[in-house]
Amino acid sequence: MAIEFLENLASFEITGGLTLLSLFIGAIIMAIGVIVARTFRLIFTKYYAPKLEKDAAQNLGKIIYFGIIIIAFLVFTGSTGVDLSGLLVAGGIFGVVIGFATQSVVSNLISGIFLMIEKPVKQGDSLDLPDMGIDGTLIDISTFSVRVRQFDGTIIRIPNEKFFTTNIRSLVSTPVRRSENIVGIAYKEDIDGAISVLDKAIRKSMPFVLLSPKPEFRIKELADSSVNIEMLVWHPREDWGEVGPKLLKVAKNALDEAGIEIPFPQRVLWQAKES
Amino acid sequence: MESDSEVAFSKYGVYIISDSLDLFFPGLEIKIDKISDNVFSYLKKDLEGNVTEKKIPVKTSELKIEVAPIRPLNYPAKRTNYCFLEFESPVFLIESSSATIFVQCPIEIGLFLIHDSHKDSLDWFTCDPANSRFGLYGTPESGTLCKYSKTPIVGSYNDSLDYFNGVIKINLKNELPGGHSISKIVFPIIDVGLYYKDTKAIFDTVSGTLKKKITLETFDVEPEAIQTDWTKSTDYERVEVVKRLKMDVD
Repeated sequence: MAIEFLENLASFEITGGLTLLSLFIGAIIMAIGVIVARTFRLIFTKYYAPKLEKDAAQNLGKIIYFGIIIIAFLVFTGSTGVDLSGLLVAGGIFGVVIGFATQSVVSNLISGIFLMIEKPVKQGDSLDLPDMGIDGTLIDISTFSVRVRQFDGTIIRIPNEKFFTTNIRSLVSTPVRRSENIVGIAYKEDIDGAISVLDKAIRKSMPFVLLSPKPEFRIKELADSSVNIEMLVWHPREDWGEVGPKLLKVAKNALDEAGIEIPFPQRVLWQAKES
Repeated sequence: MESDSEVAFSKYGVYIISDSLDLFFPGLEIKIDKISDNVFSYLKKDLEGNVTEKKIPVKTSELKIEVAPIRPLNYPAKRTNYCFLEFESPVFLIESSSATIFVQCPIEIGLFLIHDSHKDSLDWFTCDPANSRFGLYGTPESGTLCKYSKTPIVGSYNDSLDYFNGVIKINLKNELPGGHSISKIVFPIIDVGLYYKDTKAIFDTVSGTLKKKITLETFDVEPEAIQTDWTKSTDYERVEVVKRLKMDVD
């Protein structure tokens, strides 16, 4: 019965030497290929990927998976004796047509390959894309797009082409980062005294601020109502959240405690005498 | 909490608790109580009102803990395995000379749960949070983040401040032509062992050699284990292999 069925399939020719039987065998070969590819990728992901860098592991996993699929396809074409030369010619013409129609897709694909080669940022890196107003953690660089988990928890997908051509500011490629803030004191106050108060408060209550290089204070501006002091402090790259948003609070509390005035904008109006 | 002047501070060592135990350290107290047959409660309170509470189930009716000095790597957060000691006054070494100095190095205090001949890290704290800070050795682009301390040169191992720091012996050697000042030393403190006795702590020795490597003048720093009858502290953190730094000559 089964042999008869296979003989029927073999007798049904679709095109130049390609029979239903060879298609059936091809499907089996491809199915085995997919199973083998998935098994290898699973083993790789479980036992070898954890020892590699995240993005290298992901790329290698893809190479293993698609490599086995391609080998299975070559075995399939080899076993059926299908002549692919006609297909290649047709594919070439078709490719030109498709190429024009899918420029952006191809562009994203090529950009993705260059991103994987250049590696401006790695999976898990915190980054800032100033031109797009996006900041967050890089989840992955895939074939056509990049996914970034923003600091508000949402995930944004950016086409590879845009990501490749935009300015990328890595927030983790150096061991330390600097945070700056400006605080104003009244003109009547002693500048050195105020700086000393700020320095002591930062050293005392901000444990993530580095003592070397030490906090730096600069007179930023003799503004309309205040002398503006810029505070520049270094901290470990991971700890911006412990320093950046708290710096002004520490400065304000310290100046208040020392009785140093932080002025609000003031304007003196002189009224001309009525004659 | 009682003020520090009224209490006798606890010593490092092993404590066996059958009912309750109070431990006092500068600015901090710890209370361990038996709350049922095989469960103890652990409570740590500091001067700022921060409270850490844990329940500890045990197999036996007693709880065995060890209090020991540990490397200063945990406060305010574990970020590095390196220590950067800047001397309050630099040491000047003339050509082909050597010197041995003792400097203070900050410590933290670890609590370990002892069971079945194992020691598990239970908790840690620092008695000197105001002086537990980071520093960078090198440039912001490629430097090394370290725990930083500006430290005086002291006379001997006896000059440690109880609970605040331990003393580290540094052997310095100048193999370079001409005299050189040494004002700081940076080393992977994760490779350096700690020892304790009562309330004192000392570290393994660190050797620093000014030498020329082909055309480059470097300051090579290597830790060396010491022989002592003091008790060796348990490692609080997982000991990792870290690369040695090549320091520049001042």
